[in-house]
Amino acid sequence: MSTIVRHGPLASRIVAAIFGGYALAALASVAALALPMSKPQAVLTGMLASFIVYACAVIWVFAVRSARRAWTGLVIVAVPLLLAASSVWAGGRIS
Amino acid sequence: MTHLLSIVFCVMAFAFLAVSMDRHQMTVFGRALRAGQSRGFRIAGWCGLALALRFIVGNEGWALGLVAYSGCTSLAAGLVYGGLIAYERFSTA
Amino acid sequence: MKRARDPEPKARGIRQSMSDLHTWAGLLAGWILYAMFLTGTVSYFKDETSQWMRPEQPHQRDMPDAARVAQRVTATLGTIAAGSSQWSFDLPDERTSVIGSFWRTPGAAAGKRTFESASFDPVTGQRTSARETLGGEFFYRFHFQFFYMPVLWGRWLAGLCAMFMLVAIVSGVITHKKIFADFFTFRWGKGQRSWLDAHNALSVFGLPFHAMITYTGLVTLMTMYMPWGAQTAFRTPAEREAMTSQLSAFIQPGKPSGQKAGLAPVDAMVREAQARWGRDKVGRVTITNPGDTTARVAVSRGEASRVSMSPQYMLFDGVTGKLIDVKDSVGGAAETRGVLYALHLGRFSDLQLRWLYFIVSLAGTAMVGTGLVMWTVKRRQKLPDPARPHLGFWLVERLNIASIAGLSVAMTSFLWANRLLPLGVAARDNAEINVFFAVWGATLLHAFVRPAKRAWIESLWLATALLAFLPVLNALTTDRPLWRSIEQGDWVFAGFDLMMWAFAALHAALALRVARHRPCVKPAGKRAGARATMPEREKESA
Repeated sequence: MSTIVRHGPLASRIVAAIFGGYALAALASVAALALPMSKPQAVLTGMLASFIVYACAVIWVFAVRSARRAWTGLVIVAVPLLLAASSVWAGGRIS
Repeated sequence: MTHLLSIVFCVMAFAFLAVSMDRHQMTVFGRALRAGQSRGFRIAGWCGLALALRFIVGNEGWALGLVAYSGCTSLAAGLVYGGLIAYERFSTA
Repeated sequence: MKRARDPEPKARGIRQSMSDLHTWAGLLAGWILYAMFLTGTVSYFKDETSQWMRPEQPHQRDMPDAARVAQRVTATLGTIAAGSSQWSFDLPDERTSVIGSFWRTPGAAAGKRTFESASFDPVTGQRTSARETLGGEFFYRFHFQFFYMPVLWGRWLAGLCAMFMLVAIVSGVITHKKIFADFFTFRWGKGQRSWLDAHNALSVFGLPFHAMITYTGLVTLMTMYMPWGAQTAFRTPAEREAMTSQLSAFIQPGKPSGQKAGLAPVDAMVREAQARWGRDKVGRVTITNPGDTTARVAVSRGEASRVSMSPQYMLFDGVTGKLIDVKDSVGGAAETRGVLYALHLGRFSDLQLRWLYFIVSLAGTAMVGTGLVMWTVKRRQKLPDPARPHLGFWLVERLNIASIAGLSVAMTSFLWANRLLPLGVAARDNAEINVFFAVWGATLLHAFVRPAKRAWIESLWLATALLAFLPVLNALTTDRPLWRSIEQGDWVFAGFDLMMWAFAALHAALALRVARHRPCVKPAGKRAGARATMPEREKESA
């Protein structure tokens, strides 16, 4: 039990980094569609930026003091991206 | 020809930058230089790198120029580095 | 009691946490990254490698006329690929001795898209009579999709490792905060510190390159790694095509009309393209629905002529030969992606710039290698009993030997197989590849059973021998020995042979260094007991 307790935060960070980071990057690539440019260009911009977002997310997760802070940071950044992305999903049918 | 010239120029610039550091002044001159001399070398080094950038980009345009410059500086830095190591080894041998 | 709660780890500085991240990211992906880096490095000269691996294709002093080659190859495709909905072939350039071509399998069901390929002789337009080989393309494809696995899995694995690399670069820079102050520092002969200095030097000098190559590597396959935006935005096939037209000149064949019609002369189209872009600056011809009234011919601009891979082509009506459309620009983000893609491949380079790419990329390979070795050098000092390391250390050490020294042995064996395998062997190109992997596997087994230092030395000397004797083997098995290549001014062949000797010298130097190396043993005060027997044990495992 103590092993899990000891390694829990680390495992949590690894999950946050690998999967949380990818999710954030994917979300950013969709949120980019809200940018004021034609759809193909927005899609490509989102892709180009996504890897930077992913790398930054991973660095953040391991730079902060606790696993809790790591996740919190990811969630805080995800909120505006989620708002932008959902506006795309909602209005997307029309385009 | 221009590639060779650029590399030589960058090697010079990096050599100046290296010599502006105390650690390497001890190796090359056996003593630390005055602050003014160090600054002079440092400025000369950075100016050399800037001039090389101007020269290369002027010759090849921004796209090819930046790539060539990046390769040139990487190689030149490596050569100066190798030179310093060799100097250190052979002067103490 | 504090212990009952989730224990808050002691606050660690960011440099320490980034150092740990850097070490783990580098270690987990390091062996694959080393292989990707080395195969990527040699791929900058993949066309020259392919030339060397097809010695039956004669040394061409002057480039054949692109338009005439196009006409000949089109005629050949008309016989061997009749009924296919899409043909595509390269136009000759200085670095290749054969024309690469691929086409959709004729009569394939609509859902399944399979392709066939061949290499054509530029002079005759027929299939080349040179030995069947993948040539330098093997290392190139291995670099981003490996082998013996579905192509998509290979590319995902490569992308995962590339992300690890990107994280390793950023964390490495954060950790190495004295990056400028330490710029030219090297502490010679100081064991672990020397390895660190070597690793730092190789990393820092090539930093612009390493960062660029890693990020642009991800960009080359970004539509696969991050399809979510495209999936959200594009619903209809027309929208999807609008997007792919920003990325590639690979036009989709439309529905054929079913009515037969002759194909207009392709050489005239190529000449028009040459008039627009330059005689040697036309890259590729793609023909859709040849022999049908809906035939189209796209002639693309050569990749060697600009720093971008964004599509630029002239579209002709396949029946009348008239120019229908010229595509010479894409949107801003698409052009950015085109430039980044081009930076990764470096196909725009002249010879000198290509050598710069090669040298700095080789430094990057060494950066990964020194990192991997440094891990064992550092940890060895902390081992309670160096003769019996724990499983993790043992595994890392053996994998290092196989993926670094072993890879050199395997890559050279691939070239040996190219010269030694009988010409008539079935699926000869696959046979060469199987030799590569069989030898690589053998080096791994060798690394498992021999003591570590012996394994390093033996593998490095084997690589040295294989590299050094390759030009000799070449002289014995082909009519293009080194002296004749130099005589004829064939610097591709001669240069290749000479590079093998240069690499042999490098491996010999490494083997000698390893042989002379005495591991830095910490005084036994830190280790319990067995003080007197420690030096004996060290010598045994050496």
